[in-house]
Amino acid sequence: MAKHIEKAPLEYSMCTGCVSCEMVCSMVHEGYVSPQTKRLFFKAGPVKTMLHEIYTCQQCDDHPCYEACPKKDEAMCIDENGIVYVNEKNCIGCGKCAKACKFTPSRIHVVKSKDKEERKAKKCDLCRTRPEGPACVQWCPFMCLAVSDRLPWEERQETDQS
Amino acid sequence: MTTEKKDDRLYGYAGKILRINLTDSTTEIIDSRKYLPEWIGGRALAHKIFWEEVGPGVGAFDPENKLIFADGPAGGTAIPTGGRAVMCGVAANNLPEQYASSSIGGWVGTVMKYAGYDALIIEGKAPRHTYLLIDDDKVSFLNADAIWGMLISDAQEAIFLAHGRDTFSMVIGPAGEHMVRDATITTSNDHTLSKAGFGAVFGSKNLKGIAFHGTGDITPYDIDKVLELRLKIGDYQHIPNPVTHQTRMKSVAYDVPAPNGWDYGKLACSPGCNSRCQRLMMNMTDAFTGEKVSQIEKCTSPAAFTLKNDFYMPVGTWVTSPMNGRSVGAQRSWAKPYDKNDPDYEIVSQMWGGDTVNYWNADFDRGAMLNQLCKEYGIDKWDFIIWNMTWISMCKQEGLLTDLDFGMEPDPESPEFIRHFIKIITYRTGPEVTLIDGSKRPIGDVFAEHMARAIRMLGKEKYGDSIYHGRYSNILKKPLDIPVSLEGGWGQCSHWHGRGFSGSQKWFWCANMMLDMVNTRDAMASGHTHVSTDEYKKILAEGPCYSQTLANAVLRTENTAILTDSVPCCEWQSNEPFYPEENAEQLYAATGEKYTPEELLKKADRARLLFRAILMRNYGRCRDQEVEEIYPFLTFPDPGGDYATWEEWNDWVDLYYKTVGWDLATGWPFRSTWEAAGLKEIADEMEKLGKLPPEGGTPGYVRKENPFNGHIRKVPQEYHF
Repeated sequence: MAKHIEKAPLEYSMCTGCVSCEMVCSMVHEGYVSPQTKRLFFKAGPVKTMLHEIYTCQQCDDHPCYEACPKKDEAMCIDENGIVYVNEKNCIGCGKCAKACKFTPSRIHVVKSKDKEERKAKKCDLCRTRPEGPACVQWCPFMCLAVSDRLPWEERQETDQS
Repeated sequence: MTTEKKDDRLYGYAGKILRINLTDSTTEIIDSRKYLPEWIGGRALAHKIFWEEVGPGVGAFDPENKLIFADGPAGGTAIPTGGRAVMCGVAANNLPEQYASSSIGGWVGTVMKYAGYDALIIEGKAPRHTYLLIDDDKVSFLNADAIWGMLISDAQEAIFLAHGRDTFSMVIGPAGEHMVRDATITTSNDHTLSKAGFGAVFGSKNLKGIAFHGTGDITPYDIDKVLELRLKIGDYQHIPNPVTHQTRMKSVAYDVPAPNGWDYGKLACSPGCNSRCQRLMMNMTDAFTGEKVSQIEKCTSPAAFTLKNDFYMPVGTWVTSPMNGRSVGAQRSWAKPYDKNDPDYEIVSQMWGGDTVNYWNADFDRGAMLNQLCKEYGIDKWDFIIWNMTWISMCKQEGLLTDLDFGMEPDPESPEFIRHFIKIITYRTGPEVTLIDGSKRPIGDVFAEHMARAIRMLGKEKYGDSIYHGRYSNILKKPLDIPVSLEGGWGQCSHWHGRGFSGSQKWFWCANMMLDMVNTRDAMASGHTHVSTDEYKKILAEGPCYSQTLANAVLRTENTAILTDSVPCCEWQSNEPFYPEENAEQLYAATGEKYTPEELLKKADRARLLFRAILMRNYGRCRDQEVEEIYPFLTFPDPGGDYATWEEWNDWVDLYYKTVGWDLATGWPFRSTWEAAGLKEIADEMEKLGKLPPEGGTPGYVRKENPFNGHIRKVPQEYHF
């Protein structure tokens, strides 16, 4: 798989359930906070354990979402670094990308635009235009998220072993 | 306030307030602009609505009681600590019943805003067991028969199952259903509206819970400022948060071995927060099923594991130096250590208090069970552990329980008894006992009325005011008296009152008991007194009951607590003498409304005075009432042997009343005080009610003589049960 967002194992860092990742994701992409426009998904854990999950787009090598898009390369696009992203201007909101996603729940949201007039797909683009990198990684207060090409928990393991 | 907003949009707010009438299953939308941003949100907003809508004579369980559940502008904006919310209404667990507030973490406040609402006004009484589903614009009054009777976790899971895991709820357990007066309303991540007994009010309204699903949006005014605050507020750490295995439960005040160990994780309480104050105790044994579960534990839960010694804290918990930064103990576990070379080191590192109280010995498994029983039945842990259980312990040791049939031998160290005791309270059952008026009631039914009422039903002189002889001062090296009931005032359990449970210095308990005196419930939950080290030195020099510096700090604490519950944000992270701009910066980032800290405190001042107006109009609040309510517990010594005389305490009340502009004789604000806060209409209303004292004070005022005649047990307590 191409680089993507991963959630840390408990031994390295536990998700505190603060959902800062979702909120900041929505805010930096849209200029407001909404559960509809987040590109990663917090799932509250069972009430009796409170071990929460974060679901992220895996940026699959075979990118079925891209393949399913009727406006491939106009709406669902792949950039020079292999990141699959949505060019919302050309997205017709058909939802085929979300259905094609091989994960459950689908890592693509198809939601009404703020003016409620059209539907758009929302998908993690690794904040590809942000110099600081993915906002969720930057603003997770406890380093529960990282980009897969540089996972601090694996780096630490390597350090420990050496 | 300077207005330079880019447009007149209501940034940071959802824009609507939802009125829900349970009696006829109807709703009404109110434009938030009727109250916002003028009344900020949260507690200040609730005060305004309650003042307008609920007059005198409404009891906690009357359908006319209205519960106002309100978020503020920071909710849903990713401003750290901004995800909290507040509930206000006539409370069930204070004595007498009065209007009170309670704050809560969890996801519910933020999701309510995503659904489009800044606040709910819940009124009436549902004709059948009901839970509400608020799904954006659609409000459903759903039959709750299937979840009525369920424990908290089971009800939460049932709601998740029925409506999806992005539908977040707050529910009552069996205790709330049976209108146990200290029943909680609990979220799915185990945060509670505890301290006012609003769970019992939900029960009285046939309301099992409220589930929220929202797909809307909240637009903060200044996103760059939001992100800046994420780095600035709340000990931003950006460090991993690993789960660690523990073999003990340990702090400065306790050390409990855990034979099978436990796993320690840390959680945030609310959306957008960048701290992790909640201790998640993992791999604990479920008290009902035996399966492995997690428990959220905060400040009081460790007392369940042992209460051999009282819960003393370093003075740095409430005295802040630039060195120790965030002062609250819960934050200290990962804060940098104090610098021993700092001139403030000696002050903030002092340990003070630490009586041996001998309530119960250490037992990890028993403590875990007790905490979980409270959570699942939906009973306030603070009150049950610190009041019910200490009372059982003290009364047993003093031989006072022989005339009471609990159905089994009362023993605070017996898991079987604890399980039995909390169950008969929850379901209002157990053997009948004879009350002081000769009537009979099941003993669980008596304690379900909350400790203050239960003790008066059983006979306060014996069961409330008897002296416990098992307390030992480690400062004076001698025993000290304490009553068997740790009652602080307004029917509330003692909390940072310096004696019985939480030892502290005199200036600190004088400040906290003043906060409680002018409140209606335990004010400590969102209002610990904080002072700087410079203020601390002045307070000691001036003397606690004569310190203008302390009076100013109490007023600041009151007002910042209101802001904390209105912006909203977290008491553990706010009210910081070295960051007075915090609330103003949060408010600006969320709404674009620009205030100086002083201007914002004036807004809080207005809300504080409106609260006073509610108490005066609805409950006849006055000086004699509140002084006599709070004074009795002060007659017992703190760990250093100090207490407050009648004259001292009244001098302190005089100083505080002068500081806030209230008449010494009545405790009523002057017209000039109301008008300075922009509340001329309240002054007019008070004048009509005959509650507007002449400027300069009531002529010929002479301080009342001590009505306690040397001891609290001489005072008759006349309350209706």
